Amino acid sequence: MQDVLNAATLGSIYLLFALGMALAWGTIGILNFAHGVTFMFSAFVAHLVAQSVALPMPAVLAIAILTGAVLSTLTQILAFQPVLARARNQHAAEMRILIAGIGVASIPLAIAQRMTRSAPFGFGNSTYEAQVFEFLGLRLTSTALIVLIAGIGIGVGITWWLKVSKQGLALRAIGVDAETAAGMGVNRFGLAIGTMAIAGGLAGLAGALLTYQLTAIAPETGDQLLIKAFAIIVLGGLGSMAGAIIGSFVLAAAETVMLVNNLGTWADAVSFGLIFLVLLLRPQGILGRKAVRRT
Amino acid sequence: MSGWYFSNIVLIQATMTTLLLALSIQVPMRVGVFSFAGVGAFGIGGYAAAISMTRGGLGTVPAVAIGTILSGVVVFVLGLLIARLTGLYLAMATVAFTLIIAVLAVNGGDFTGGASGIFGALGDITTLSLVIISIVVVAGLTLTERGGLGRQLDAVREDPELANSLGISVTFHRRMSFLISGVLGGLAGALTTLLRSTITPAEVNFHLVVLALTIIVVGGSGSWIGALVGSIVFVWLPTWLTFVAEWEELVYGVIVTLAAIFLPKGLFGLARDQFHRYRSRRIKREAGLTDTAPKERERIALRTAEEAK
Repeated sequence: MQDVLNAATLGSIYLLFALGMALAWGTIGILNFAHGVTFMFSAFVAHLVAQSVALPMPAVLAIAILTGAVLSTLTQILAFQPVLARARNQHAAEMRILIAGIGVASIPLAIAQRMTRSAPFGFGNSTYEAQVFEFLGLRLTSTALIVLIAGIGIGVGITWWLKVSKQGLALRAIGVDAETAAGMGVNRFGLAIGTMAIAGGLAGLAGALLTYQLTAIAPETGDQLLIKAFAIIVLGGLGSMAGAIIGSFVLAAAETVMLVNNLGTWADAVSFGLIFLVLLLRPQGILGRKAVRRT
Repeated sequence: MSGWYFSNIVLIQATMTTLLLALSIQVPMRVGVFSFAGVGAFGIGGYAAAISMTRGGLGTVPAVAIGTILSGVVVFVLGLLIARLTGLYLAMATVAFTLIIAVLAVNGGDFTGGASGIFGALGDITTLSLVIISIVVVAGLTLTERGGLGRQLDAVREDPELANSLGISVTFHRRMSFLISGVLGGLAGALTTLLRSTITPAEVNFHLVVLALTIIVVGGSGSWIGALVGSIVFVWLPTWLTFVAEWEELVYGVIVTLAAIFLPKGLFGLARDQFHRYRSRRIKREAGLTDTAPKERERIALRTAEEAK
């Protein structure tokens, strides 16, 4: 049972991270390779602030969310918009957005690595203290509880918002056919910025929560999560938020099974193998819609 | 000259092995396949060469040959498996393949040396043999860039449906690009490993994928010359500017971002476009054609468009 609980906590972190990526990729078609670095750098900025001022947890989270949103928006305005404006077709744009994302990602990573000398950092100075609850023989820290509530709550919330709200409908319309959507009066530019800001904020929240959960993270943590989030999105199906929720918990469960059976060094291979298997056997994912491609 | 050569021999050799690695990514790109399997092949080739040398007691040439052939076969089979995928999905599947190679190397026990890798596989590779290998590879690739074959490959990249309808087998060219990518990546891996005498799983990571991609993006994906330009820039830049050595990652990040936005064809593509523009202007001038100023031409185009309304 304890393992199930641990898997659920891990899955919630994955979910918070992957949701932003899934949202941006599934709707406005941007696979943001700087998402992992946004995640890390938000936690890093919060760490810098928390070092000089002893802050309570909500303030630290707020700083991380804000930093993530600002970073992500800047990436969109300074890198992705110019790429889109210059690209000849969708295919070329896809590739160059991927490349621009990789380029952008190197910049905050280099700054953080240099300032920390690649050592892990945490919120040691924050006034927050984790409490441990025990019931029915299960151990649950208050951090894990917050992670679980935030992960599942925001996951369900965003899925629901995308389904019922007007902006959600407009976003989904962009995901299906961007040009027709624009013709129907959808503000593509504004929605793209808004989506990226939300995605960045989610990355920031995930970064800060993971730092609280593990007490410290390394500057490179974001890179691994990026590939895992890709596996989650592919598994759940591109464009489906419910798929991302399922994918997160499936991946977390599979990795926990590996850890419990003392196959820890193989745990990373799970996500890579999943990418492979899903793409080969069911390319549209569990809940994805089918795309028609001829060649 | 010889003094310069001996003090920079490591960099000269690194330029050539990096070129081979970059080419293993560039060749699939030329047929429109965004595959990073070449980096995985680098790992396979490196490990196969190191293992056959330290465990099998083979010489340099057979060890390199085994690494090259094995990685060529593996990547070819990979290409058959993931033939259905396109675009980003294919790119990420090949990244996953590369990272799986690293995980296999970590978990290979005594056979692959685990996380600490393999030591003491020092081959006998001279700079001359590296130069010869590079020239042979580049000459082969030049043949695929010229004439009918070059135009066929361009068609496969730019418009696969059109290529199919013209009787060009898109599937065949894509499969071949995987095979060549595997061979080149394996060759780069085997040579690099035997030059340095060690290989560790940590070398075959996402960072190497990014480096190979960076080289192609900055140099240009249209020709092997682009890969050469990129290799030279990224191997030598840190030695030219100490500032760059200190902030290597940051400078690369800025360069890649700018190249992705402003240089879709890379440095080589930019130079070629400029040359073409210069030449066509000169030919026109020599033919006695007065070229209307671009601004004037734009004004005329606008006016006709308005009149059409």
